[in-house]
Amino acid sequence: MSSANEYAIVALGLRKRFGELEAVRGVSFKVRYGEVYGFLGPNGAGKSTTVGMLITLIKPTGGEAFVAGYSVVREPVEVRRRIGVVFQDPTVDRDLTAIHNMLLHARIHGVPSRIAEERAWELLEMVGLEEHAYRPLRDYSGGMIRRFEIARSLLTNPRVVFMDEPTIGLDPHARTGVWDVIRELKRRGVTVFLTTHYMDEADKLCDRLAIIDHGRIIAEGTPSQLKSKVAGDTLYVRVEDGGVARLKRLLARYGEVKDAGNGLLVLVANDAPRLLPEIISEAQREGVRILETRYTRPSLDDVFLLLTGRRLRDEGGDWRFWGRRVARRLL
Amino acid sequence: MGEKGSTQTLIGGSEAGKPRLKALGVGVYDPGFARPLAAMMHRQLLRFRYARSRLVNAILFPLVWLIFFGLGWSAAFNMAGGLARRLFGGLEYLEFLAPGIVAMSVFTGGFGSGLGVIWDREFGYLKEVLVSPAPRPALILGRILGDSLVALFQGFVMALLVSLVAGFPGPVGFVLELIAAYMAALASSSLGTLIALKMRSPEGFHMVVNLIMMPMLFISGAFYPVTPLPSWLKALAYINPLYYAVDLSRGLVYGVHNTPLLLDAIGLAAVTAASLALVVKEFSRIYIA
Repeated sequence: MSSANEYAIVALGLRKRFGELEAVRGVSFKVRYGEVYGFLGPNGAGKSTTVGMLITLIKPTGGEAFVAGYSVVREPVEVRRRIGVVFQDPTVDRDLTAIHNMLLHARIHGVPSRIAEERAWELLEMVGLEEHAYRPLRDYSGGMIRRFEIARSLLTNPRVVFMDEPTIGLDPHARTGVWDVIRELKRRGVTVFLTTHYMDEADKLCDRLAIIDHGRIIAEGTPSQLKSKVAGDTLYVRVEDGGVARLKRLLARYGEVKDAGNGLLVLVANDAPRLLPEIISEAQREGVRILETRYTRPSLDDVFLLLTGRRLRDEGGDWRFWGRRVARRLL
Repeated sequence: MGEKGSTQTLIGGSEAGKPRLKALGVGVYDPGFARPLAAMMHRQLLRFRYARSRLVNAILFPLVWLIFFGLGWSAAFNMAGGLARRLFGGLEYLEFLAPGIVAMSVFTGGFGSGLGVIWDREFGYLKEVLVSPAPRPALILGRILGDSLVALFQGFVMALLVSLVAGFPGPVGFVLELIAAYMAALASSSLGTLIALKMRSPEGFHMVVNLIMMPMLFISGAFYPVTPLPSWLKALAYINPLYYAVDLSRGLVYGVHNTPLLLDAIGLAAVTAASLALVVKEFSRIYIA
């Protein structure tokens, strides 16, 4: 239990089986308070099912998890009192205004009304929706609803906020808006657990992340740790023609060197940011004049490719969401 | 609570001129039972305010019955004179019909409110309430209470309209009519919600409601007395909650009833209680998967 109290989330071999299919096959991880922790993986990897178990709506078939120090299996109500949740699909009452949705949430969660009203307005302002507070949510765009839901999830001042695919189906502009809000939460020290299948999103937002595939965590760490798993960074060093041979000998100590011509040498090695200054000072000592350096780092997509042999694909908008909107219009 | 770091997160972060979140006590709240119940009740009333088409719908249908069916038969029965009056317990046909029409409109409204449960599942709002720490029975009971109040309001409007056609039953009669209407509203909202909780799609709900609503209306005693019916139909009437609502309503307003009023009230209360018990049981399943 001691570790359960130090961490915002502790998952110990969580499993979930739906009939024949085992969606989650024993995942274990720990999330510290104040951290933004991500689950990155393709659709169907078990991300939403894991979230479902952590927020106490899905019953694990095996394993155990603690959220804010409470068991999701034995103390679900205690867990619910301490979390905020932003589901993958919208979960708002579209016929009511934003402020009504906010205040209903507050009352259902037992936030005293004098606190609720003040905080509701502050949060709407934080996500840039205070001017739209009196509009029914059916008039909101997908990005606005998402920002609204994030604001609503914070009304109870939760210790941990869960966001399941917070930017799925949003256009690039709306995604940036949601990212800004998540960064603001991080700045304020809110613990965030998010799932995503966008590698750039995981890279930009998460302090640490787990890559999940077929219900298992296949890698975990900070984005840069994970990316350093890939063969390495690619360094480009250009020198005066006279120095090519000497520099080549020097670089060979760090890895495989290729001569790209015109005095440009290419080296694949780990941890380029640390390596570059070292190479530059070594070269100076040898009397080689370096004209230009740069490096590229591998993306999380490269990491996923390395681990699974497949690429993470970015899919289009969430068809279920749009299907429902169409259904709503027809009625 | 004495919880370590419970004032963390949103508190602080003041920038000049920007309002900020103050330290407003601990971040862990206890919703209790009454607040979520009241909140869900309030929600149904708010939704009704924003969706007036529902009112029109619930009023129009019974009104069509009253005018085109009621006035027509009333004219026909007037030709039969005293014989018809005896059949309707000494009432004019329109008087006989009026309380039934009010009960019917309330019942239709209450029943149909179950559809909201399905839409909440469809549009995700169900998950928003299920993941809250509020007791599940409070959430669903609050919702049913709200729906029943909306249905009562529909009954109130209907009773006023009916008075224009069939004559005002007097203030006491009117209030008694509303009391009967509220009992019908509670029973039908509970029943409608129960059916909705068992259904997976709006289409399924419509199908079931249409399937049972029609026979329920016809053997409710709203349009004709059930006394002369063959015994198997009569037996069906006696398990029909709408029958008790109509009989109670007519009994309270005009003193004309078929079963003892207490039995009518008990019948309605029993349907309500049984439905509510099943609703709470169904809705209190902890996990969605």
